[in-house]
Amino acid sequence: MAKVAYYPGCALKERSSHLDRSARDATKILGFELDELDSWTCCGAVPPVSKERVMNLIASSRVLKSVRDSGRETLITICDFCYNTLKRTNFSIRNDEIARKRVNAFLIDDTPEREYIEKDTSSWQDYTGEVNVVHLMEYLRDIVGYEKITENLKRSLKGLNIAAYYGCVMLRPYDEIQLDDPENPSIIEDFIRALEAEPVKYPYRTECCGSYLSVSSPDASTRLCYRILNSARENGADALVISCPLCFYNLDSRQKAIIEAYPDFKPVPILYFTQLLSVALGVEYGRQGFEKHYVDVTPILDRINSSSGNGGE
Amino acid sequence: MELQIVRHRLQYHIERRISSMSENTGLAPPRCPPIRLTREKVSGFKIRVNNLSGQHLDACYQCGNCSSGCPLAQEMDILPNRVMRLVQIGQKDDIIHSETLWICASCFQCTVRCPKGIDIQAVMDTLRQIALEEGVDHFGPDQINPEQAAEVPQPGLVGVYRKLST
Repeated sequence: MAKVAYYPGCALKERSSHLDRSARDATKILGFELDELDSWTCCGAVPPVSKERVMNLIASSRVLKSVRDSGRETLITICDFCYNTLKRTNFSIRNDEIARKRVNAFLIDDTPEREYIEKDTSSWQDYTGEVNVVHLMEYLRDIVGYEKITENLKRSLKGLNIAAYYGCVMLRPYDEIQLDDPENPSIIEDFIRALEAEPVKYPYRTECCGSYLSVSSPDASTRLCYRILNSARENGADALVISCPLCFYNLDSRQKAIIEAYPDFKPVPILYFTQLLSVALGVEYGRQGFEKHYVDVTPILDRINSSSGNGGE
Repeated sequence: MELQIVRHRLQYHIERRISSMSENTGLAPPRCPPIRLTREKVSGFKIRVNNLSGQHLDACYQCGNCSSGCPLAQEMDILPNRVMRLVQIGQKDDIIHSETLWICASCFQCTVRCPKGIDIQAVMDTLRQIALEEGVDHFGPDQINPEQAAEVPQPGLVGVYRKLST
């Protein structure tokens, strides 16, 4: 089985472990394995935008360099924040000569040394951005192919209306990410179609859910999430599909606060795209970590069972 | 014939407006005290922001696309396009004491939509950095709700402290 280097990131190790596990299950069925890096650190979560902060590139470039040193070219991430941070760091190292020099000057100092041996830097190779950072969704689209997913379906999601939610950092800024059109993306909609479900289009699918504001200004985030979820619901969505742990927290757990603030609100189930994928590929429901969801997803699961003849537990 | 009448009327109105302005100077009080612009004040702050962010702020021509696309505009006290204008005229104090810097969620909508290609998000980040240097710390570790700290995924926690505190 082909192995691809995989950077899970902190959230997938603990608070969003169901995203990690469902991704591993699904990719095994599709014929490749997510090979977690031997050692990795936090990527920094938010990329440094202002040019002066080169120091903030260090954590991500250390991860990227370890992938390069192990002789691999592709690094898969699932968390949108990791994807954005690693990809933009890589972009800066590729295109900004000053940043590249400063980062490498720091990394070379960073290598373990013993005081009594003079540092050996003869085998040192500057990291110049050789690794390609790929989102799992991108890998499924470009390398695996959506046709292969359709061939392997064990449960049919026919009749389900699923809304895609992109959020902010998966697509933007376009100059550096170039995953899909930032204003009118279709990558998750095509994915939903490949699972034989019906994608729902609604105006707020690329609108921000409040990101880290749910910690510092929770009310602002509640208003944004209400707008997104209500718009999806009004356009006929049975569930929302996302890929980011922070979006999941904001859109799922925050529904408690939304119901308190807006009594007319009806809850919308939230699913990770990997959960939907592994359900469709026949992985049992017990492995999906649905108990971590605030909004009950069983109405969706019941409809999957009844609409397919060959699926089920 | 009609055109001429319109032109006459227009001229009459303009003349009346001009004469009333010259007679009653200061009748309508300005909404904020006049800003005294000095060369050092204007260019010093703007050049600093330009250098730190790598953007050219004079390119902004106030189309307002950033503010109209901003999902959080309704929560802000100074809209993003006005922030750009305040940087252009060097009003550092107004900016670093505004709520806007701490409400911006760094979603890059403004950056994607700017017709002049200014990375507005980078400018916002630079302004946050300058505000933090001045000691305006917005969100400290003691302000977090412990229940929430146990639930929020780590990117949210790391993000909020990297953006909003020194």
